[in-house]
Amino acid sequence: MLLCLQYSKEEEARFLSHLDLMMAMERAFRRAGLPLAFSEGFNPHPRIAYASALAVGVTSEGEYLDLQLREELPPEVVLERVSKVLPRGLRVKAVVPVTKRKQSLMAVINLARYRVEVPIVQDYDQEIEKELLLQEVIDQEVIDRVIAQAIAFPVYLVQRQGKKGIREVNIRPGIRELTGQIRGRKLILEMAVQTGSSGNVKPEEVVKMVRARSPWQLGENLRIHRLGLYIYADTQVWLPLERS
Amino acid sequence: MEQWKQVLEEEILPKVMKPLRYQGNEYNAVKKDWKAVKLRSLFAFPDVYEVGMSHLGLQILYGLVNEQADYLLERVFAPWTDLEEELRSRGIPLFSLESVKPIAAFDCLGFTLQYEMSYTNILNMLDLGGIPLLAKERGDDYPVIMAGGPCAYNPEPLVDFIDFFVLGEGEEVILEIYQIMAEHRALRQGKQDKKQLLKELAQVNGVYVPAFYEALYDEKGKFAGMKVKEPGVAPRVAKRVVKDLDQAYFPLRPIVPYLEVVHDRMMLEVLRGCTRGCRFCQAGVLYRPVRERSKDLLVQQAEQLSKNTGHNEISLTSLSTSDYTCVEPLLREVLNRFEGRNIGVSLPSLRVDSFSVNLAKEVQRVRKTGLTFAPEAGTQRLRDVINKNVTEEKMLEVAEAVFSEGWTQLKLYFMLGLPTETLVDLEGIAELAAKVLAKGREILREKGSKQAPKITVSVSSFVPKPHTAFQWEAQDSLALLQEKQKYLRSKIKEKRITYNYHDAELSFMEAVFAKGDRRLGQVLLAAWRLGCRFDGWSEYFCYEKWQEAFRQVGIVPEQIANVPLEFTTPLPWDHLDSGVKKEFLWQEREKAYQITTTGDCRFAACSVCGVCQDLDVAVSLKKGE
Ligand code: SF4
Repeated sequence: MLLCLQYSKEEEARFLSHLDLMMAMERAFRRAGLPLAFSEGFNPHPRIAYASALAVGVTSEGEYLDLQLREELPPEVVLERVSKVLPRGLRVKAVVPVTKRKQSLMAVINLARYRVEVPIVQDYDQEIEKELLLQEVIDQEVIDRVIAQAIAFPVYLVQRQGKKGIREVNIRPGIRELTGQIRGRKLILEMAVQTGSSGNVKPEEVVKMVRARSPWQLGENLRIHRLGLYIYADTQVWLPLERS
Repeated sequence: MEQWKQVLEEEILPKVMKPLRYQGNEYNAVKKDWKAVKLRSLFAFPDVYEVGMSHLGLQILYGLVNEQADYLLERVFAPWTDLEEELRSRGIPLFSLESVKPIAAFDCLGFTLQYEMSYTNILNMLDLGGIPLLAKERGDDYPVIMAGGPCAYNPEPLVDFIDFFVLGEGEEVILEIYQIMAEHRALRQGKQDKKQLLKELAQVNGVYVPAFYEALYDEKGKFAGMKVKEPGVAPRVAKRVVKDLDQAYFPLRPIVPYLEVVHDRMMLEVLRGCTRGCRFCQAGVLYRPVRERSKDLLVQQAEQLSKNTGHNEISLTSLSTSDYTCVEPLLREVLNRFEGRNIGVSLPSLRVDSFSVNLAKEVQRVRKTGLTFAPEAGTQRLRDVINKNVTEEKMLEVAEAVFSEGWTQLKLYFMLGLPTETLVDLEGIAELAAKVLAKGREILREKGSKQAPKITVSVSSFVPKPHTAFQWEAQDSLALLQEKQKYLRSKIKEKRITYNYHDAELSFMEAVFAKGDRRLGQVLLAAWRLGCRFDGWSEYFCYEKWQEAFRQVGIVPEQIANVPLEFTTPLPWDHLDSGVKKEFLWQEREKAYQITTTGDCRFAACSVCGVCQDLDVAVSLKKGE
């Protein structure tokens, strides 16, 4: 049977690469004693298909994988057994059987939401520092304007390293939503961007777009957190669990 | 959160290579409440995480100590140079993985001494932790620093830096040591009186406190023996040894690294010790006698390990796994049980015989592993000298079995520079490899295989090690070792034979630190100041810096490594007792020169090496039970 698992990669696991995460998941499923289904061939692998890879340093509260089992097992039993044996920083949040969906997760997921913390490395004026609250309000107005201007423009080109060298890509159409908030000395960007095989926008690229128009210097140490992966279909945004 | 921790989390870790090396969030890692325990200790491995986490000894002690309610044991590894740079430039102390506490905040630190070339990393780690390097400069407020492992059998080069050493098998003694340390602190409101504590510890069998001994030198400046300075301290310290492997502690919930490490698998320790009696081999002496673990217990442990780790491979580890008397039934049972779960088995150390090839073939049912054999020397004469019980006939038999069973590659280990070696022996290496290759061609042709066989010849240089029959031998001079390496290269003509050899300069330094006395502490300090670290890593080893360090201190390393010793020469490790008698070792040396072999006491008569007599242990084989 095929199950779809929703899981999170939290602070304590944020430095896992996708490969590390795959190994950690496989080991957890083995510890849970699940009847894993294996691929054929000389070196059989458990049949686990991931929706999307998360980079080292990036956390997420809405990741998905499809897990093939040899035997039927109630999803809630899988959830319970796996939850007991996951390492710190990884958590399975929901398990549902895959009944309707014919395609892989990777093929259907096309939208991702992120929250990105961007440090503001501007030296604050001492006078204004005293009235930090007021400053926040002012900055908020500025950031709203910066984002509105950036969004209003139909083209933002970024350079990407492809197999055939560097090419330019317009990411603007792939940015579906973008808001910014000032919290202390951080700019918190929230965005919904296109992802998957039909086109992919990286949160770092969106930050770059904002940075280009920002009146303050925005730092490079980003904290990127994925809020979720979604399926945009029939003019609606779905959770992968809803379309399994 | 303290500010440095925040900087570490937010600025440093995202920047360095493999930040998972420095975080203790792995499955089965233990995080204890510091206030709820009586003793806070730290296992310090003087190499990177990936190497340290593959070490069974770490898992054993980590499990054992953390299962005690009163103690905690955390981990620290040598930080890679990128993290070191960040820590130094920002003044952040080296920290433990589990609780991210500065290493100086612990009550005690224990370094494991697996190889000599990790010594500068010890100094570097202490320094990064803000702990004075010299033991005599560390007051009562600093953690007490201990060390154990194979190099503790001649720890003299480290005595300036380490407070006490533990000889033998750690799980046998660690809790006694901890109890003394905890009680000592409990009586003093959580503080220690270091001198007094060391006196108490010196009473424990297996504990060596070097400050209580004085090294004597003769008028020529030669080492002349060790004198006890402190009343009530024993003149000799003997190792601790586990009597019954079935009763010994074994970690069934080992830490499962997130990061890919050198050995990513469950480790089943099938036996300890090896009495085949190779005369150059230090492990063969230190871990005597042979003690096997019962098959049924091993199968049980495998089940538990699998449930608790989720690894997909089981390694049957020991110094020589094909020697385990129940290896066939064990292998069969493990394979049968785990095959359905797609868990493979690996055999890391194979004897040179067709029996071992058959075992390897069994293992191949699940997963293909490369095969390596160690004839060690190129001629029968020299193999008899070193007591390596391998004949050319056997080697060719192995080759035949290997290639018949479908492997096309084979790796052979040899040692160069062995006592009594001549050019004929070097030519013998090339000839043996060529014969093995020819055998491979023949077999593969017969099978109608299109693949050509490939042989790798890997050659290390002989390093005379303390407590072996060859401890009195001189190592060949550096120039001669390099000459021999070149000569062997010129003798290997086949394209299908790959020849690689270890850095002779590294082997030279290894010999110096294996055999040296207390005065080498100065050299370590100088070398570390010159920037030496990760010397076991060829990309960091810098021979010029070591030469400079020896020059600065005024010690001639050749006089340590390249000079043969007499039976009566006082050795810097004479006061440290592996249980094997010096007379026995000398007798083995004599037999080497007479080209006479000694049988394995498991199957032939006891050769009275001394261990069983002196340490009240016995060979324990499980066959027929
Ligand atoms: S005392 Fe005898 S039986 Fe025991 S390890 Fe030594 S040689 Fe073997």
